[in-house]
Amino acid sequence: MRGAFVPVSPGVIAELAGVVGAKNCISDLAGLRTYECDGLTSFQMTPGAVILPESTEQVVEAVRIARRANLPIVPRGAGTGLSGGALPVPGCVVIGLSRMRRILEVDLENGWMRVQPGVINLDISKQLSPAGYYYAPDPSSQSVCTIGGNVAENSGGAHCLKYGFTTNHVLGARIVLADGTVVDLGGPVLDTPGYDLIGVFVGSEGTLGIVTEVVVRILRKPEATRTFFATYPSTDEAGKTVSEIIAAGIVPAAVEMMDRLAIVAIKAATGVDWPDVGAALLMDVDGPLAEVEHTASRATAIASACGALDIRRPRDDAERLLMWKGRKSAFAAVGRISPNYIVQDGVIPRSEIAKVLRQISQLAAAAGLRVANVFHAGDGNLHPLILYDRNVPGQEEKAEHLGGEILKICIQAGGSITGEHGVGADKAAYMGEMFSDADLQAMGQLRCAFDAENRFNPSKVFPTPRLCGDRPGQYAPTRFEASDEAGRG
Amino acid sequence: MFAGARPGTEADAVLGAVPSWVYAPRSLDEARQFVESTGREGLALGFVGGGTALGLGAPLSRFDALLRTTGLARVIEYTPADMIVTVEAGTTLGALSETLRRQGQWLALDPPAPERATAGGVIAANSFGPRRARFGSVRDLLIGISVIRADGALARGGGKVVKNVAGFDIPKLMCGSLGTLALIATATFRLHPLPEMQRSVIVPSCNAGQLRQLLARVRLGQLEPTSVVAFSTGSARCEVALRFEGFAAGVNQQVARFSELQQAAGEKCEQPDDGEAQAWWARQDDARLRGELRIKVAALPSQIEAIQPRLDAVREQLGEARFVWYVSLGLGFLSGNPMDPNAVSRALAEARSALEKTGGTLVLEAASPTIRRSIGEWGANPDAFPIMQRMKERFDPQRRLNPGRFVGGI
Repeated sequence: MRGAFVPVSPGVIAELAGVVGAKNCISDLAGLRTYECDGLTSFQMTPGAVILPESTEQVVEAVRIARRANLPIVPRGAGTGLSGGALPVPGCVVIGLSRMRRILEVDLENGWMRVQPGVINLDISKQLSPAGYYYAPDPSSQSVCTIGGNVAENSGGAHCLKYGFTTNHVLGARIVLADGTVVDLGGPVLDTPGYDLIGVFVGSEGTLGIVTEVVVRILRKPEATRTFFATYPSTDEAGKTVSEIIAAGIVPAAVEMMDRLAIVAIKAATGVDWPDVGAALLMDVDGPLAEVEHTASRATAIASACGALDIRRPRDDAERLLMWKGRKSAFAAVGRISPNYIVQDGVIPRSEIAKVLRQISQLAAAAGLRVANVFHAGDGNLHPLILYDRNVPGQEEKAEHLGGEILKICIQAGGSITGEHGVGADKAAYMGEMFSDADLQAMGQLRCAFDAENRFNPSKVFPTPRLCGDRPGQYAPTRFEASDEAGRG
Repeated sequence: MFAGARPGTEADAVLGAVPSWVYAPRSLDEARQFVESTGREGLALGFVGGGTALGLGAPLSRFDALLRTTGLARVIEYTPADMIVTVEAGTTLGALSETLRRQGQWLALDPPAPERATAGGVIAANSFGPRRARFGSVRDLLIGISVIRADGALARGGGKVVKNVAGFDIPKLMCGSLGTLALIATATFRLHPLPEMQRSVIVPSCNAGQLRQLLARVRLGQLEPTSVVAFSTGSARCEVALRFEGFAAGVNQQVARFSELQQAAGEKCEQPDDGEAQAWWARQDDARLRGELRIKVAALPSQIEAIQPRLDAVREQLGEARFVWYVSLGLGFLSGNPMDPNAVSRALAEARSALEKTGGTLVLEAASPTIRRSIGEWGANPDAFPIMQRMKERFDPQRRLNPGRFVGGI
C-alpha cells in the first residue's frame, strides 16, 4: 500500500530540469516509482520529483528552487538504507547523489582523501589497495552503498569493533544548507576551532543538510589478518567465547555470531559448506604479524575451552573472503527460507547477550514466528531477522509487533534501538521510549541551528516535528506535515 | 544568592576575571538547581573542573558565578565485562584510572596532569595526549553524556553501548564546546584493555624533513605505534620518541623492525630503559603545562617543514622555549616565556597567517592580556561559524554560559 502521490508542479519540474538537465530530472510516474522506498521496502511513497545533480552548484540551485516552492527535500544515496531514511515524503523533491562519484583528492602521506558523496564505499578501498591503504568502515552493503549515505547514517559494519564507525573516519564535509549556502565542516587538518559540527553532521540521517563532498581518513593496511570460524552447540557457548576473548584483553577486528536458522539461510543462499550447528562465530584479528599470531592462538584456545565443536581457519584469502561473503549476505539469504522478513537492529550491553537471546526466542515462540539471529557480537549489536509470510493474514502485524517488543528489551537492557541502521521512518516512534522530552528537545535545538525550516527529510528520526518557532517568518509547515500520509506497506 | 554559594576570590579567577559567587555542588541535583535558579536571574556562569585548561579561550564578557565540578566525582556505573564506565563530570582521570586499573582496563586518554584533569573538563576542552595517535581523541571515546541545559533541565545523548546511532550525536556536540552550550553532568566512555607491555624508542636528532621520512618508514613497516612525538627546546632539531603498546610479541616485533628500518636508512635509534622512557614522556607532558605563553598549532603532518621556520621565529622570542609535535597527527604545542610581547605578537600573527593559508590553525592556550588583545585567542572564524552562532542561540538564548569565551565571541 502506498500513500497518495502528490505531484510537483510542471513549473518547478521545468526549473529543476533547467539546472540538472532533463535526463537527470525524473517526473514521470514510472520513473518516480523507482525511488519510492529504500532497503526498508515495507514503507513506500512516490516522490514528487527526483533529480540527480552532478555538482555542488547544481545541488545549491535545486535546494533554492525547492525552498521557493516550499517543497520538502529528501536526500538519497544508493538507497540501501534499512530504516526508511531515504523514504520520500509526499510531494518532495528527492535529491539523489549517485551521479556525484568522483574521487577528488588523495593524500596518502597525511592519510585522507576527498570524495564526492556518490562514491561507493568499497571503491575507496579498491582504489587505495595497490598502495596498501584502505577505508575502514565496512557495512555489509559496502559494494553498493555510497559514502554520502554512510555519512548520513553513521554506518558501521563488522570491523567497527576495533576501528570505529563512519564518524571516526570522516574528517570533514562540504554541505549545502536549507537556504542554499555551502559550508565546510572540519577538514583534513584536525581540531578546527569551534563546535565539532562534522561530528554532529555524521549520523544526522539527512535532516541537517546535503553532503556534496566528504573528507575521509584512510589507513595503512594492517600487516596481517587471521580469521577463524568456530561452531558451537548453542549461542550460549558462542557468547561465552566472545566475553572471554574480550576479557583476555584482545580487541578483535570483528566478531560475528550467527545462530542455527541464520546458518541454514546462509548455506542455502551462498553454498558455503558450514555444518548444521546451534551457533557459529566468525572472527578476525589483525595488526602486526607477531601480535596477530599471539592473539589468534589465544582466541582459538579460548574458543575451544568454551566448548567449540570445530574451529576452521581459511586455507587462503579466497576461502577467507568466502567466509565473510557468507556472513555479509546473511540478510538477503534469509529471503531463501522465508517469503518476507523484518531486519531488526538493536544494541545491548555485551554481557546481556545470552539473556536477551533467550528472551527473543521466548517472544518469538509465543508469537508463533521464527527469528534468525545474525549479529556483531563484539559490540552487542543484534540483528534479529523476523521471518513471516505476508500472505498469511495477521502475520505481518505479529512480526512488526515482535520487532517492537525486541526493541523494548534492548532499551530495558540499557541498550539502543539502533546500532547502525538509523532511526529513519522506521523507529521514529520509538525515540520517545529511549529518550526523554528534555533529551529530544536538545536534539531539536541542534536541528534548528542547521535547518530551522525543517526542510530536509521532515518526519524522520523524531516522533513529532520540532518547531523552531522563535524565529518568526522562517518556519512554514510543509504540505507533508499538514497531510501526514506517508504510506506504510 | 544561592544557598551554599560563597563570594569569589582571586583564587577563583578565570582568565583574569573574578566571579561574584562561587558554588561547588555536591550532587547533580544541586548543580541542576543552581543552573536553573541562576537562570531565573539571568546570571552569567563559568564552569571549572580541574583547571588544567583555564587559559584556553577569551575572557568572559560577563561572569557572575563560578560553578566548580570537583564535588561531582562519583563513578556511577562501571561494568568491566562491557568495557564502559559512567562518571560524574568532576571525576579526575587519575582517580578513574585507579579504579579501572584493578580490572586491567583504562580510558585511553592521556592529557597532561591527569591527577587534576576531570572527565567533564577533558570533554569541554578537547584535551588529549600523545596516545591520540592510536586511540583517537575524547570524541572517539565518549559514547554517552548527560548535560544540564541552560534552563536547568537534564538532557542526555548517546547511551551506554558503544554502537548506537539513535538520535543526534549530542556527546560530540559537547566535545570542545568549552561549557558554552550546557554544563556537562555525566559522561560514559568506552574503555580499552591495559597493554601487556609498553616499549619506547628514541631517535636522538631529527630535522623537519627527517620527521616526514620517519613517518614514511612507520607506514612502510606497517607499524602501529600508540604515540609518535617530537620534542625540542632551543633549536630546530628535535628528539623523537615512539611508543609501542600491546601484547609482548607484537611490541617486540615492532621495536625490532623500526630499529632495522632506521638502520637501513642510516639513522639512529636508541632503546631507553623504562625509567628513561618514563622521564621522556613526562618531559613532553610538562612542556605543555609550563610557560607564560602556550600555543597549539594544527596543520597537516607533512606541512611541518613549511611551518617550522614560522614557529622558529616565535621560538626566538621566547625564553625556555619548548616545542612538542605530535608527528602523525599534525598537532603541536609551543610554550615559553615571552621576552618582548610586541615582538612575540608579530611573530605569532605571521605564523598564524601562514598556517591558516594552508588550512591550519594557531590557538592561544595561555597568554598575557597584551598578546591576547593583539592577536586574539582563536584566529579566523571557521567556515561554519554562522551555524555555531545559531547553535549557541538555541542552547543558551540568554548567553549566560561562559559568554564570550569561545570562538568568535560565542
